[in-house]
Amino acid sequence: MILQSIRWRLQLWYGLVFLALLTGFGVTAYALLRNVQLRHLDGEFQRRIGPLSMSLRPPRPAFFSFFPNQFTNSPGPPPGGPRLGRGGRRGDQEDQGGRGDRGVDFPGGGPPGEPGFARPDGPGFQFRLPPEQTALFGSESNSFYYVVWAPGGQELARSDAAPRAVPPPPAAGAAAGPAEPRMRGVYREIYRATPGGGAVLVGRSIAEELAGLRRLAWELAAAGGVVLLLGSTGGWWVATRAIRPIEDISATAVKIAAGDLSQRISAADTDSELGRLAAVLNSTFARLEAAFAQQQQFTSDAAHELRTPITVMLAQTQTALARERGAAEYRATVQACQRAAQRMRKLMESLLELARLDAGQETLKRMPFDLAKTAGDSVELLAPLAEARGLKIHCAVPALPCVGDPERMGQVVTNLLGNAIEYNQESGQVRITGERQGGTVILSVSNSGPGIAAEDLPRIFERFYRTDKARSGSGGHTGLGLAISKAIVEGHGGSLEAASQPGKGATFTLRLPG
Amino acid sequence: MRVLIVEDEPDLLRSLTQALQEEGYAVDGAADGETGLFNAQNYAYDAVLLDVMLPKLDGWEILRRLRKTKKTPVLMLTARDQPKDRVRGLDTGADDYVVKPFDLAELFARLRALIRRSAGRTSNVLAVGDVVIDTGARQVSRGGQAVALTAREYALVEYLALHQGEVVTRTALYEHLFDENESTLSNLLDVHVSNIRKKLGAEFITTRRGHGYCVGGAA
Repeated sequence: MILQSIRWRLQLWYGLVFLALLTGFGVTAYALLRNVQLRHLDGEFQRRIGPLSMSLRPPRPAFFSFFPNQFTNSPGPPPGGPRLGRGGRRGDQEDQGGRGDRGVDFPGGGPPGEPGFARPDGPGFQFRLPPEQTALFGSESNSFYYVVWAPGGQELARSDAAPRAVPPPPAAGAAAGPAEPRMRGVYREIYRATPGGGAVLVGRSIAEELAGLRRLAWELAAAGGVVLLLGSTGGWWVATRAIRPIEDISATAVKIAAGDLSQRISAADTDSELGRLAAVLNSTFARLEAAFAQQQQFTSDAAHELRTPITVMLAQTQTALARERGAAEYRATVQACQRAAQRMRKLMESLLELARLDAGQETLKRMPFDLAKTAGDSVELLAPLAEARGLKIHCAVPALPCVGDPERMGQVVTNLLGNAIEYNQESGQVRITGERQGGTVILSVSNSGPGIAAEDLPRIFERFYRTDKARSGSGGHTGLGLAISKAIVEGHGGSLEAASQPGKGATFTLRLPG
Repeated sequence: MRVLIVEDEPDLLRSLTQALQEEGYAVDGAADGETGLFNAQNYAYDAVLLDVMLPKLDGWEILRRLRKTKKTPVLMLTARDQPKDRVRGLDTGADDYVVKPFDLAELFARLRALIRRSAGRTSNVLAVGDVVIDTGARQVSRGGQAVALTAREYALVEYLALHQGEVVTRTALYEHLFDENESTLSNLLDVHVSNIRKKLGAEFITTRRGHGYCVGGAA
């Protein structure tokens, strides 16, 4: 699924966010520009509407007789105007009624503003626009225009550019002063009630501005589309770059899953989040590979160790059976087969023991015993071997009570002592010493042999590792003795270490918690 | 044919030596790498059976050093059967590779093939006049009639037939047919040659006085 791909999801989210941002930006830019234009226009309106409303004058004699209170109570223009208008409503009742009649009986009968319509001065209202003001209202379709109404709602005057049907003021005389500019189709208009109850309107067709704005909107949309496309391409590139390490990791993991443990993620940038992940994975892979290689090596070594005695048995028996032999020859063959079988048995036992120690299944006893006595038993056991080689064993171990499996520890000490005897020089020495340091029991077995080469020293506890690259047929060593000893000691919570200076013998130090 | 076995497992060395001697080879054994390399460098063997895991010098190292001076066919014996080990062995200059445990029959067949190839032959059957030598079955016939030869006689006939048309010196024959324990000063060789002439005809082996012996063709 394409939507399951992180790259596609990233791209989708990125595109959506980008689209929202672009839309917001476009809409804001459009609205701002429109507002600026309208505000400018409204300013122009304000400039014109003042003189316009001043030019609408009530009739002098008739007005005073008709509205006797108006100018005596409040000679000033708004804001007193509207209140007065309302206050004078009582007096207006009749007037309104009369006005209504008059509206109906309007001479000529035609609607206000019609060409040829005689300007009514019946109520006596006069509208005289100074010539310098007239110049502000042209006759072009986009010129400012005005419409003037008398208090009764009759249209008194209009400029040439005024559209035909301009709705009369909402409630003539209801609210003197400027109202909010409003849009009516393509016209922007503003009313102002005059103190006398009349109204003026200034407006202008903004069809051109609207067309310009519409063009701007399209241009913004087109530019936005291009930017979105470019941005998405950039986003794709960025997503690809960001995803690449993940794809590297994934590809490597696939190869490793397929069995190639030597694969590593190439992480040049180790400080980034993915770089750190790659480093962690790489070190995990390395440990996995090492463990796997060790396991493989162990299995291969074990098989190798078994192959040799089997080869001996095959070669011996096939040779013996190739022709008739004497009893002595058959006897030699059977003895060789027996030796091979014993070797296999020993190897098998060692392997099983190691496997049990590895799995923690080897139940080590926990009982108090004296390590000094264990060492003494081992010396007694191996004394004939040492004697045969002309070696002297010095055993000076004070009582070392500790807790553990005496039989297993005996196996360990015998193994160490056996090695010390075997890898020794003619008429050399073997020395066993013991001491207690705080809560730790220490037993050291050292000899005067050729020692262990520096390159072998770190590896001698490895399984099947031999300092000499050969099977030692006569010794019957499996190459597992030290590995097993170490496993037993560690099973007791202790440690087994080797130190050597080539030519000056080797020392194995066993530490047990007392 | 004279072969060297380098093998540190005493029981295996013993039985391989015995089996190969019974096959008619002259066999030298070496129980460690240093002795093995010394022998391989200083004697003319027809083949070397080389174990890989050896004390002192391992099989790889022996092979590497030997190849600097000698082309002796080498058959590696090893318990390692990983493909990379085989590749390494063959790339280092081994001519063949046998994984332990092996059947003696297969080992001997590979050894024969190795020696045959090194002499430039592709067939097991060698013909010299009316004498036919089947190196696989180790049988010699003359005019269709099987001729009974002792192991040493057979080895002499086979060696000369492998090098037919060439003059083979007495020294070479001693080197290839007798192991290091047998005296090269005895007239053992003359006795064998005389016996073979009785069985395969006096003209089968010609003597080049002062040079050696020759079988087939006139070199």
